[in-house]
Order: sequence, then structure tokens, then C-alpha cells
Amino acid sequence: MEDIGGSSSNDNNNNGGIIKEQDRLLPIANVGRLMKRILPQNAKISKEAKETMQECVSEFISFVTSEASEKCRKERRKTVNGDDICWALATLGFDNYAEPMRRYLHRYREVEVDHNKVNLQEKGNSPEEKDDELFKLSNRGVGL
Amino acid sequence: MDHQGHSQNPSMGVVGSGAQLAYGSNPYQPGQITGPPGSVVTSVGTIQSTPAGAQLGQHQLAYQHIHQQQQHQLQQQLQQFWSNQYQEIEKVTDFKNHSLPLARIKKIMKADEDVRMISAEAPVIFARACEMFILELTLRSWNHTEENKRRTLQKNDIAAAITRTDIFDFLVDIVPREDLKDEVLASIPRGTMPVAGPADALPYCYMPPQHASQVGAAGVIMGKPVMDPNMYAQQSHPYMAPQMWPQPPDQRQSSPEH
Repeated sequence: MEDIGGSSSNDNNNNGGIIKEQDRLLPIANVGRLMKRILPQNAKISKEAKETMQECVSEFISFVTSEASEKCRKERRKTVNGDDICWALATLGFDNYAEPMRRYLHRYREVEVDHNKVNLQEKGNSPEEKDDELFKLSNRGVGL
Repeated sequence: MDHQGHSQNPSMGVVGSGAQLAYGSNPYQPGQITGPPGSVVTSVGTIQSTPAGAQLGQHQLAYQHIHQQQQHQLQQQLQQFWSNQYQEIEKVTDFKNHSLPLARIKKIMKADEDVRMISAEAPVIFARACEMFILELTLRSWNHTEENKRRTLQKNDIAAAITRTDIFDFLVDIVPREDLKDEVLASIPRGTMPVAGPADALPYCYMPPQHASQVGAAGVIMGKPVMDPNMYAQQSHPYMAPQMWPQPPDQRQSSPEH
């Protein structure tokens, strides 16, 4: 991916694709932690390898986003959503990612819907009714 | 870029003696130069044929067998990995805490000027997809680390994983050209390429196959470079170098006659 760090005067300006150098990459600590998670206990990772992985992940995001964005443009939509990302993953050959991510998106939406229901009830109901509704929801197996 | 990983690769090639060598031992003496497979250059300008082709075949088979085992093991690990990922997704209840920061993911997405708006769910999906991407690429890279009998995952291991995996083709610009070139060379089974000593040990030049009979064998001539102008002047067509790597006798062709 091209280096798109702007001049110091534009550092805080996120318009026109100008972002700070460090904002172009995911934090090295998070990346390193994830890498360690799948390796044996006695394994070590060089700093250079972590930095390379940072670059790779940023490129992955850009690559998939570009494909998802192109789909939105063709369909005359302004917002890139989860379905577009899952579609882009499948289109770009990441079949192993696409199916689990569709399942993940489905679960995320389920939880969000339930979460929104609870929020609506909290706004509109009396304390007694609210407790009753929460009790019913918890019996339905919704983790709050 | 350090090439630490490659220094530990087993050297294989043709040995003059009939002694059986252990896999991974270095049969070459300092300064020795080998000719085509199945022969050893014993002195300047002379090439002796040896019955070492069988040993080369054994080494190659041993290497291929070990390589196949490692690849099979990697495939099993990856199968297990994807199975685990699916199971983990089924168990997820917390969509608030993520291994990677959503704001940073959104910034990287926004760097694409074609992206106008991003739904709240998009960075959440990406956080999980990136997590899986890091884990898979690390697992594939570690396979290369182990092949080279190291315990430290290095940049060239990631380069190897990228080179060996089709879906990671979009990452070829991330790793420098030298790394990729090294990995492509490393992926060619040992023994299929001629091995030589130091490049400056003896001068050499290539000859067209039709003139090789004057020297005794096609290919490299050791010693003084043969620069007879008549040899090349009599050719009507431009000189084209023969193929660098040895071929089976039935496939080897002389330069075309016009």
C-alpha cells in the first residue's frame, strides 16, 4: 500500500485520504499479541516480522474495502456495510473467511437487535414493567 | 534483510566418492566446482563422470518426502484452525471488546477516497477478519520457520508464506523483491540446480552446443575463457545462450538452424 502520510500541518486532517503514518497501521502490540496466540510457548517473533505483519493487515483491509466500495458504487449506495465486506471476501478468494464472517455478522445483528429492544424498553417503561421485560428477555436466553 | 533462515538449509549435490552421506551434510570441499549433475570437475578443463546420480536421486527423494510430510502437517493444522475459528464464532457473545481497535480500522478504510460512509458493523466484521488473517498468515509463516529449524519467526518466513499461498498474492509488494526471489529459489528441490564454488574462483564462458565437441562436453568450460572470433563469426544467426539448468537428454536441443 502506498505511503499516504501527509505533512505535519495535515496530520489531524482525515479528509482526502490523508492520515498519519502511525494511523495507517494497526498497533504493533495488538498484532504481536495475536501472532503469539497461535505459536508455541517457546516461539519468538522478530520486530521486523511484526512490522511486516502490520503492513500486511493494512493491505488486507484496503484490498477488501476497495472491492466492497466498488460494489457499493455500482449499486449506487453510499454506505459500506457488513454484507459488502463478506461479499468482497468471497469474491477475492477468501472463501475460508467469508462463511465464518457471515455467521459472525448474523450473530452480531441478533445481539444488536436485542440490545436495541432493551434500550427502547428502558426509555418507555415504568421501573416495574422494565424489570418484567428484562426478566422475560433473560429467560429467552439473551445475554445482557 | 538477514538470510539467517537459508543458511541452515541442507546442501545437496553430487559427490565424487561412492560413500553414502547423511542427509543435510555438506559434501563439498572448499574451492571444488561441480559440472553437470553426475560429474565432478577434478582439475581445470577436465570433467569426470561419476556414478553419483543414484545418490542425488536418494537425496532428492528424501527432501521431497520430508517436504511432503511438512505440507501435509500444515494442511491438517489449517483444517483444525478453520474448524476452531468457526466454533469460536458460535460461542461469541461479547461484540463490544475486540482484539484490534475499531477506530484504527475505520481510519484505514477511510484512506480509500472512494469510501463515503461506513456502517457501524463494518469495522466489527473487519476486526474479526483481520484477527483470522493474522492467525492464518502467522501459522503458515511458522511452518517455514520450522522447516529451517528456527524458533524465531522472521520477515523471510512471512515472505515464504506469501509466496506459497495464492490468495496472498496481493501482498507481494509488501515484502522486498530479494525475499521473494530467495523463497522461489528455496522452493526448488535441491539437486535440480547445478552447484558451483566461489564465482571468482575460475573464469568461465558458455559455448553453443555445436562447438562443444571441440572441448569435450557441452556447458561450462573451466580455465581460460575461449574467445576464438572465428567460432562466432561463421554463424549467420545471433548467438543465443543455451538453457542454464540441465535438462533430460531427450529434451535438450541444439540451437535452431535457419
